[in-house]
Amino acid sequence: MTGPTLVVGELHDGHLSDATKEAVGVARGASGADEVVGFLAGNSIREAAAGFGRCGVDRVFVAEDPRLDAPVTAVVAHLVGLAAESVGAGLVVVGGSTFGRDLVARLSVRWTAAAATGATGLARTGTTVQVRRPVFGGRATETRELEGSHAAVAIRPHAFAAPPEGSHEVALTPVPLDGIPPALWAPKRVVVEVAARGAGPTLTDASIVVSGGRGVRAAENFHLVEELAVAFGAAVGASRAVTDAGWRPASFQVGQTGKAVSPQLYVAVGISGAIQHLVGMVSSRVIVAINSDASAPIFKVADYGIVGDLFQIVPALTSEVRRARGM
Amino acid sequence: MEIVVCVKPVPDPETRLRVSADGTTLDIEAVKFVLAGYDESAVEQALLLKEATPGSKVHVISAGPPPRTEEVLRASLALGCDLATWVETPPAVAPDPVSAARALARAVSAVPHDLVLCGKQAGDDEAGLVPGALAELLGVPDFSAVIDLRWDAAASRLKFQRSTEAGLEKWEAPVPCVVALQQAWNDPRTAKLPAILKSRKLPITKLPPAPATPASGASRASRFELPPPRTGAKMIEYKTPEEAAQKLVKVLKEEAKVFP
Repeated sequence: MTGPTLVVGELHDGHLSDATKEAVGVARGASGADEVVGFLAGNSIREAAAGFGRCGVDRVFVAEDPRLDAPVTAVVAHLVGLAAESVGAGLVVVGGSTFGRDLVARLSVRWTAAAATGATGLARTGTTVQVRRPVFGGRATETRELEGSHAAVAIRPHAFAAPPEGSHEVALTPVPLDGIPPALWAPKRVVVEVAARGAGPTLTDASIVVSGGRGVRAAENFHLVEELAVAFGAAVGASRAVTDAGWRPASFQVGQTGKAVSPQLYVAVGISGAIQHLVGMVSSRVIVAINSDASAPIFKVADYGIVGDLFQIVPALTSEVRRARGM
Repeated sequence: MEIVVCVKPVPDPETRLRVSADGTTLDIEAVKFVLAGYDESAVEQALLLKEATPGSKVHVISAGPPPRTEEVLRASLALGCDLATWVETPPAVAPDPVSAARALARAVSAVPHDLVLCGKQAGDDEAGLVPGALAELLGVPDFSAVIDLRWDAAASRLKFQRSTEAGLEKWEAPVPCVVALQQAWNDPRTAKLPAILKSRKLPITKLPPAPATPASGASRASRFELPPPRTGAKMIEYKTPEEAAQKLVKVLKEEAKVFP
């Protein structure tokens, strides 16, 4: 696989997402002397597209349309395929997000790209792109061969560093939208509303996650977990015991039937570590467990453990973290 | 409503993984296969929608090798699915996600379908590619990370939430479409013995695998590695909670370098 690499950007609060910047870093590393070209679709996004420049990208395709306010992956995949062809790109890299995964899935068919998601390593050798990625909930790592003339890869969040930002001129190339088959826009989808996000980062996006489990004992004690999360600037997660008991909504659940997370730091508070929970968090870089039972399975996968009463340890830890962060 | 639910057999998450001596395959000889976790939720959600919408049918479809694919289809019939279709692929190795999507698309196209439900990803390859690829092949929209999926019969619309990086989004969409489910309304049900016995005799429509096409977007796993066994946590020794907190913050800053 030869030629430039195309990085498809995503917006987060009106700016290029961190996941996009990580994707630029990956594309740069895999491209050698070849060019890295940006792509961004949305509504009024020229300022955001300039963010590619700060990551060292010279050239960005910009597809602007009010109908792209919420990304329509079928349309974006169509436009990305055309842009990739126009610059002779063989590889498309996307950040590790819901959008990134959906787009890569579409590209696998529309652009006949060999596709992979959740990449923690990417190398381009000769005609093949090799991707390393965790499988079986992080219990194994596979190397996947993406052969053929096209490949599309979504990377795993937080697995790669974003390139250092500088000031850099970027040329924006508008992408015409008039040739899009109408069937890709229709049937029209309706976004009714986006619930206001809490102050903290979201679970799958956060670089630190603090989760509470059965050991918290009651809904009214869960604030201990949340205060620790606020101190860390972390997202709040929960084990299934907590969501089943209704102490927190199901959207908080980390594990087999909930969300899979892989933050830099995962703090498990009062979580025993059933396999169904472990598969959702075991690929976190550093795991801390706080539990009263020294024989809890969570200590087998944790890097650091504190055996003790969480009702004493957690408030002390919250104060200490606040102090360390100058809060 | 005609509901199609796509499922995949995966190794039971409780089974221990082993890699072959040359590292190129996972040893699945002694492995028990079960419905993938999110697919179990998708089947549950399909059945709940059927129960809430009189006149609905649930058709379960899977593309994979014998015998495990037939087993999860029978398990789905035992749970209450009405019809089953199996695209039989060569033995042993599961098809890669894009090839699986191509096989599923052929099977789905051949039957009536308003809503096509998938689990958001399977617990073996964790790819999550099938729903989007399937939607592209069928020429319909897809919605991922879906929770709280309802069918508003009066408005002829699906109403649901998506749990994405942006937060919780409320959506409405007409059918046909593909939905990649994150969570059903409630926990997957378990099949009752008479239903399990009956499911063994129910018919399953069999389709041959699609002929291989060049540049099909397929990929293959060439190597598997297991992580080094975790040595267990480094335990923090302490006399007071404050000391535990100080020691932990110190190692997170200086040793693990994850903080602040």
